[in-house]
Amino acid sequence: MSDHSSQDRQSGNDPQANPSDVSGGTGADRRKVLKLMGAAAGVAAPTYLRGFEYTRSVQAESSGPVKVGFIEDESGNLSVYGIQKLHAAQLAVKEINEGKTLKGGPDIGAGGLGTLGSVAKNPPTISKEGVALDVVDAGGDKSINEVVFDEDADVFVDSGDKGILGRKVDLISVDGQSNNALWQQLARRLIQQDKVDVLVAGFASAEREAIRPIVDQFKQLYFYTNQYEGGVADANTFCTGPVCEQQVIPVVQYMVEKFGPRGYTLAADYNFGQLTAAWTKAFAPLVGGQIIAEEFVPLSVSEFSQVIARVQQAKPDWVMTLLVGQNQQNYYPQAAAAGLKFPMASTVNMAQGYEHKRFKPPSLANMHNAIQYQLEVPTARNRAFVKRWMAMFPNDQYIGEMAQNTYFTIHLYAKAARLAGTTDQATLKKALELGWSIEAPEGSVFLEPGTHHCAHYIRLAVCDENHNVKFVRDWPSIQAWWLQRLGVNLVRHPEYKQYTPDEDPYFKMFLKKS
Amino acid sequence: MDSFATVISVLYQFATNGAFLLLSALGLIVILGMMNIINLAHGELMMMGAYTASIAWHRGVPFWLCAILAFVVVGLFGALLERTIIRRFYGRELGALVVTWGISLILSQGALAVFGPFLPAIPIPGGSVAVGQYSFSVYWLTNIGLACLLIIGLWALYNHTTFGLQARAAMQNAAMARALGVDTGRIYTLTFSLGAGLAGFSGALFAPTVSIAPFMGQQFVAPAFITVVVGGATNVITGAVGSSLLLSLVKTPVGFLLGAFVGTVALLLAALVIIRLMPDGVSAVIQRRIDRRNRFA
Repeated sequence: MSDHSSQDRQSGNDPQANPSDVSGGTGADRRKVLKLMGAAAGVAAPTYLRGFEYTRSVQAESSGPVKVGFIEDESGNLSVYGIQKLHAAQLAVKEINEGKTLKGGPDIGAGGLGTLGSVAKNPPTISKEGVALDVVDAGGDKSINEVVFDEDADVFVDSGDKGILGRKVDLISVDGQSNNALWQQLARRLIQQDKVDVLVAGFASAEREAIRPIVDQFKQLYFYTNQYEGGVADANTFCTGPVCEQQVIPVVQYMVEKFGPRGYTLAADYNFGQLTAAWTKAFAPLVGGQIIAEEFVPLSVSEFSQVIARVQQAKPDWVMTLLVGQNQQNYYPQAAAAGLKFPMASTVNMAQGYEHKRFKPPSLANMHNAIQYQLEVPTARNRAFVKRWMAMFPNDQYIGEMAQNTYFTIHLYAKAARLAGTTDQATLKKALELGWSIEAPEGSVFLEPGTHHCAHYIRLAVCDENHNVKFVRDWPSIQAWWLQRLGVNLVRHPEYKQYTPDEDPYFKMFLKKS
Repeated sequence: MDSFATVISVLYQFATNGAFLLLSALGLIVILGMMNIINLAHGELMMMGAYTASIAWHRGVPFWLCAILAFVVVGLFGALLERTIIRRFYGRELGALVVTWGISLILSQGALAVFGPFLPAIPIPGGSVAVGQYSFSVYWLTNIGLACLLIIGLWALYNHTTFGLQARAAMQNAAMARALGVDTGRIYTLTFSLGAGLAGFSGALFAPTVSIAPFMGQQFVAPAFITVVVGGATNVITGAVGSSLLLSLVKTPVGFLLGAFVGTVALLLAALVIIRLMPDGVSAVIQRRIDRRNRFA
């Protein structure tokens, strides 16, 4: 409820923020405005959204490029993901500088919720007069069962802007080397020394938690683009990747239906793995399943013979693998070499580290992941995205989940800055809390203002023994609802913490059932 | 049948853990054990072996040839290293420690700069054999055998050849050995080269089961040092065999019952206790046993 009132308050000041502008339809006006801005440097820039308070002088920032600070792991244990993300950022920045954008804007997203329904050949006709909505013609027999949803293939459009507000965008990227201490130094450097306008950074949850206090200290606008365990409620942080409630429950439900109730969790031993395993354990009973054992593996482990023997001994119906990093990915070829053939589920593997491309078949055979994006997503818009990417990086092997998130996130940032008419960080945080939809390669993504998390298009991807991927089930929009249940509303009540399942009494209720 | 399979599985895990420690320590046994050089670049020499194997394998060379190639390439590199740098640090243990650490940084960062953050993986050769509900990787079974063969070969080399005799003499008393006509400089080069080559060889053997990346060596350094130090310097080869079996004996049941993480903790605790109880290592205890028995015999 409070979401609505806050939006009303903002749009009340400016009843027409003219959101269609942002989708790239009418760029001419803005160019005029930009010229004026350039000519009258020093005068407060006009903004499309009145009522925002400026916390920095506009003068200082309207000169020079817009700086996008970027930290990812280009070397070390997590580099297999970091390089994809870096390329995604480079592609997005290049497109922004070339005057391109993705469709979308506050409250005007196409796509959105889809639902399974019965469809007739033609849409029904409803009588003009009746308030009772009398149906004149039902459109034929409702005989086709399908998801009532369709998505637009043509989402890559002109922004009517070169760069952001006429300023070139610079990507200042540094290598975190998979080392948390280094991440903190680099975050300080980007924020204090380079004075970046926006920070896009973070693979592992440990890395994010290492730099978040620094982000909060300087009130830095920060995007965390990773898939993660959920729970971050931070007024300065926008989390654009999917979280447990969007992935764990769909995949566990599918595994229980298809293979049986008994699951065995194998997870990386740090906050992501521990908390995702807790979600799996807590929610399996709700869909008729049960986690019979959990094992947490240190990130440095790459020798799995004992783990494999323990799984064989437990004889589960399926194995939930939440393995992270180049060391742990060796579980798959080792398990395959040891003849392990249990069906596997995951929320990370395959979609991120493209293990199915890197390891010899059938290492990843029978892997199921409720993904939000991976290269194989079979839509026209995604094929266009992959084509653009491969034109820029012809030697790349794969585009994973987080790479796509980084890509649309930077485009989203550019759109929000154009709408706000400034790169002022405090203003932009408010602009981002307008309820944005963006047409990402995965589908329509909605940034929920109160929790700073995104609703995503989730698909169940299955890998076969030749390592081909097919998508067996679609959920066109799954909300990141958990923080809402905890009563988080960052628009109304800023906070700066991460919630864990321990703080939710519901988790204990579920656990008792198992 | 089920309990029989479980016994087989535990035995397999025991042997795998032991072989992992022994293979990790292989090059270090020679360099630390014989020459008393604390070689912190051990992991990076293993990395070089894995890199050699990966590059050769992806050019169509059969895997076993790749491993031998890794032995030769890293061995030659070791000889070069000894000739140019290491020999300036004999007798200065701390100096050698720092200089090998520097070499390790140059090698890993150099690999990152030249080859990028990772090389393509090598598929694990061989299939699996099943016993009851368990199944075992043929590749690891082969590695267990290879670890045994290598350690026997090393023992024979140092106890039954002229080179071994001269090497042991040079290590015990270099001045005396020189006086008796042993070219100690050559012995040192060959020994270091052998140690480096063995590290490269085990790096190549591990290559299919790990990610081939610039910092991959680090995961083997700790187990390697623990194995050699627990083994002790009295008799390096028996020490390494004894300590890897002893440590695996602790790690295997704990890891099987309580998980890999607790297994690793148990291994480290065991190493701590063993070093406290046997400050000269396992080999000193074994040697004392043998000596006592010989005296009574």
